[in-house]
Amino acid sequence: MLRYLLLRFWQSIVLLFLVSLIGFMVLNLAPGGPLSQYALTPGMTKEALDRIAEQMGLNRPLPIQYLDWFWNLLQGDWGKSYRDGRPVLEIIGGHLFATLLLMGSSTLVAVLIGTWIGIHSAVRQGSVFDYVTTVGAMVALSIPTFWFGLIAIFVFSLWLGWLPAGNMYTVGDGSAADYAVHLIMPSLVLALVNVATWSRYMRSATLDVMSQDFVRTARAKGLTPRRVLMKHIVGNALVPMITLAGLQLPTLLGGALVTETVFTWPGMGRLFLDSLGYNDYPVVMGLLMFSAVLVLIGNLAADLLVALVDPRIRLE
Amino acid sequence: MTMLTETPLPPPDRWWRSRTMRRFLRNRLAMVGVALIVGLTLACFVGPYLLPFDDLYIDLRARFAPPGTGAHIFGTDPLGRDIAARLFQAGQISLLVGFFAMLMSTVVGTVVGVVAGFRGGWMGAVLMRVVDAFLSFPSIFLLLALAAFIEPSPIMITIIIAVTSWMEVARIVEAEVKSLRDRDFVMAARMLGLPAWQIMFRELLPNVIGPIIVAATLTVARAILLEAYVSFLGYGIQPPLPSWGNMLNGAQQYLDKAPWLAIVPGLAITAAVAGFNFIGDGLRDALDARSDQR
Amino acid sequence: MTEDNRLTTTRRQALLLMGAAGVTTLVPSLSGLGAAHAQEAPKGQIVLGFSQEPTVFNPHLPHIEVDEGIHYAIFDPLFDVAPDGSFFPLLATEVPTVENGGISADGLNWKITLRDDVKWHDGTPFTAEDVKFTLELLLDPDFRSWRKTGHEHVRNLTVVSPTEITWTMDKPFAPYAAILASTFIVPKHAFEGVADKNEAPFNNAPIGTGAFKWKERVAGDHIELEANADYFGDGPYLERLVVKYIPDLTVLYTQFKTGDIDVVGLQWITPDHYEEARTLADRVVEVVGTATFESLTFNMQRPQFQDLKVRQALYHALDKQAIIDALYYGVPTPTETYMPKESFYFNADLPKHEYDPEKAKALLDEAGWVPGDDGIRVKDGVRLAFTNSTTAGNHLREQAQQFFQQSFKDIGVEMTISNLPPAVMWGDYWMLSQFDSVVVGLNTLTGPDPDTSDFFLSTSSPATGGSGQNTWVYNNPEVDALLKQGGELVAPEERRPVYLKIQEIMRADLPFLPIFQYATIPGWKVGVEGKTPNINNRIDTWNVRSWRWV
Repeated sequence: MLRYLLLRFWQSIVLLFLVSLIGFMVLNLAPGGPLSQYALTPGMTKEALDRIAEQMGLNRPLPIQYLDWFWNLLQGDWGKSYRDGRPVLEIIGGHLFATLLLMGSSTLVAVLIGTWIGIHSAVRQGSVFDYVTTVGAMVALSIPTFWFGLIAIFVFSLWLGWLPAGNMYTVGDGSAADYAVHLIMPSLVLALVNVATWSRYMRSATLDVMSQDFVRTARAKGLTPRRVLMKHIVGNALVPMITLAGLQLPTLLGGALVTETVFTWPGMGRLFLDSLGYNDYPVVMGLLMFSAVLVLIGNLAADLLVALVDPRIRLE
Repeated sequence: MTMLTETPLPPPDRWWRSRTMRRFLRNRLAMVGVALIVGLTLACFVGPYLLPFDDLYIDLRARFAPPGTGAHIFGTDPLGRDIAARLFQAGQISLLVGFFAMLMSTVVGTVVGVVAGFRGGWMGAVLMRVVDAFLSFPSIFLLLALAAFIEPSPIMITIIIAVTSWMEVARIVEAEVKSLRDRDFVMAARMLGLPAWQIMFRELLPNVIGPIIVAATLTVARAILLEAYVSFLGYGIQPPLPSWGNMLNGAQQYLDKAPWLAIVPGLAITAAVAGFNFIGDGLRDALDARSDQR
Repeated sequence: MTEDNRLTTTRRQALLLMGAAGVTTLVPSLSGLGAAHAQEAPKGQIVLGFSQEPTVFNPHLPHIEVDEGIHYAIFDPLFDVAPDGSFFPLLATEVPTVENGGISADGLNWKITLRDDVKWHDGTPFTAEDVKFTLELLLDPDFRSWRKTGHEHVRNLTVVSPTEITWTMDKPFAPYAAILASTFIVPKHAFEGVADKNEAPFNNAPIGTGAFKWKERVAGDHIELEANADYFGDGPYLERLVVKYIPDLTVLYTQFKTGDIDVVGLQWITPDHYEEARTLADRVVEVVGTATFESLTFNMQRPQFQDLKVRQALYHALDKQAIIDALYYGVPTPTETYMPKESFYFNADLPKHEYDPEKAKALLDEAGWVPGDDGIRVKDGVRLAFTNSTTAGNHLREQAQQFFQQSFKDIGVEMTISNLPPAVMWGDYWMLSQFDSVVVGLNTLTGPDPDTSDFFLSTSSPATGGSGQNTWVYNNPEVDALLKQGGELVAPEERRPVYLKIQEIMRADLPFLPIFQYATIPGWKVGVEGKTPNINNRIDTWNVRSWRWV
């Protein structure tokens, strides 16, 4: 077990190194730079921009800038934002809650609905319900999240006037109920794709379990179909879902980014877009690394959890 | 995903009568997908010739005409351009971007997968770690980071979409090749002294073509979606060139005044992506030998 | 031109002031009803919405427009500029002029007397040492100073007493008064013992002398400021100012409509919502001119653009009015120059633009540009084709651009649109003039000062080794001479003809096609008072000290 964890750890470090290298190259090899946003400030001159670039160390050779950044990262220093000079990790931390709230609530919805749909369509394989949800899931997977968000805003905010069109809370309110009202639309929109994924996987996992011997045994013992379903099938079918949850993390993060944009949700996704817009490289790099770390931890946690739940799986 | 390993591909001259093909043709959803894609492709490539409007022609007097105004079946945009004409022109761009991105990512993914699977060892490990690295951040983050700093021409957009979507194919192919690596026919080829590239691409590749086709179909769907995401966020295909994604960019601003600006292109994207997903799913079932027994 | 009349007397008085006029007598009137309410206790809060997030709170680090929204609330300059272009004192007891002995007759020796009743937000008294520190900080080689212009001519900075500071200039520099008017004084003691001034704790918890004190910032969401009860001047009248960041203009407007926001600030109400906004109950909505002008800017190095007739023809082919009316809903004002019409130096007699495609074609024919096989005109092997760039994602401008494209095509000119992400667009591509043509909104002025040497002097092109931002690579010796002359002249009346002439020459030369002078549409709830626009400052909060609820 310990050996396995150590191995995973080293693999993760190598991965993070690669991620950082790719990210850094992408950001820095392109023309333009973090100072171009000041170009149109009245009275700004090329001379001043060059001087500031020099002071910020932006015209040092790229490999040196990279090593410098990476060395600091290894020591836990993620750098400072070019915009407000605050530590990157602190900035990300400030946006983490909003994203986790959105991702958490939408995952909860998706897991509940998706699992339910998955089990039911597996049990009633070939039924109309099964067919409709299968097709429905595939269509849902084909709808661009942001477009679905736009349509939702159009219907529920502009047309019906039921829900706010964006933001996490009303200025000056900020009660739990206020958060909840603002959360409904974005979390449901983000959940759509995940409901589809979850129901599909849950369906096939349930089918797999149902065809196994111990289920037949249980049935032969004369247990009620409901008991067999709840006790033997669902429990076992949920195990692969844990892995899925780990694998779904990047998708969920990406979806959250787009959803946050549409609903002006103050999370990491919007931070990412803002930072891109202002060429705040340290924050962009920080977010790339942070999401990579999150994904790695998610995957590892999922693997460990599966091993814990399912005695047949041994980590090597 | 272990189809085809048991059944070698049927001779090419009668592939359309194969069991796989029959299974595929029997799949109603897949047929809907084919119909959607054929329909959309025809509309996009022939439609512009049938419409009385040019997709770039600006008529400021006809701004924001709702669908059904005169000959504007889908209405007009903020510059008074015909949305139908733009939709079809945009479709050409989006479909081509999707198709070529798929082609590129499939080629890259296949090569990486075959080499990594066949060679194994440190080379395979390094290649697969690179795959993992690409997979370990949300592709939309990487895509945006790339697009934000690159001149956004359709070709560049295609390339960066390919750069962020070749990993799935690579993983699938690597797994398949690994499982085939020690089979008799590979051993035989080795014993004959065939060069490695020949074993990889002449002997092994044809045996994994099924999963590649499935993955490729799903990649087209994914690429169309990704183009839409990036263009919607303003980093993709740039006006005046229309794409389904950039037709939606800015539509949010006019949502109260001209909702059709958002609705029409979104439906087109959904239809195209769903079409490819249906086909991909149908192909997967058809190639899966077990699906007959189920 | 009403403001000209209003200003005549005061401008005479200020005849010898560097830069624009300095008018202490205007202060009471400009702060509105200020004096009458001076003892009123602060009450209530205003939520001000911005579509960009203020993030740089040290006013001397590189920053953008929106950051100044916070600077004005927290800091004070020595003196500031009123909407009419005159100066009024803040930290200084009076605006230095030749008459009051603040500036020597040759413009080289400056003496500024400071108020003795000013305290920093942390209670430390404000003294001349802080002024000295600020002016030195701007030149500190280890500090990422956003602007050295003007300050670099300052010599012998001397603190005579806690309320008096003097210096000499190494050459007369007319715009320096305007520069000082946007130089916020920062506290010396906040930087004592700080190794790296670029990363001082002050930068994220600013201490000023201004009407509002820093309370807290929720990054990505809002900034809260509270009333400075000890403010030396008139105001503040609000207990709290909340600056809310709402990144989407539609949402910004919606929240103004629903009442979540009391004042719509930076990037304001979009023109397409103007008609509706005007009809809202209990809301005041205004169209306010800004100093930014929109232009189609040429790279004069390109062979296509060296022929004046080509530039004239392109100008005739532009249907400016259609763009303004249709795309911008008639909000901005068509212009012929870079100078805002509100300015004392605005030339109102420039030839008016005529939209006339036939004339455009005739001009091109005349100049020998004949249509080739593809319909695009050619002369001496040069095709009349060029690219046009702007920031990708600016929807209205992209629409206007596509309209230009069609207009130019009609006269046989091919314009290809090639828009770039902001980081690329305004980097070397813009600074080193790597473009053919650009659609850009520029403010070439420093506050109320008409000097534009950094933009129009032939030695200001980075592309030819100069410093500045003459990205047109515009080179006209006559303009060079006039700019030099104008920068050394002192009295506004004497400077005015010089700058009118420059505008006349540039209108004739057309290095850029002026399209319109930007107008913004701020809005506020009925009951908010004191929100006066000021063309000389870039941001809504320039007089936030006087904002109040009635």
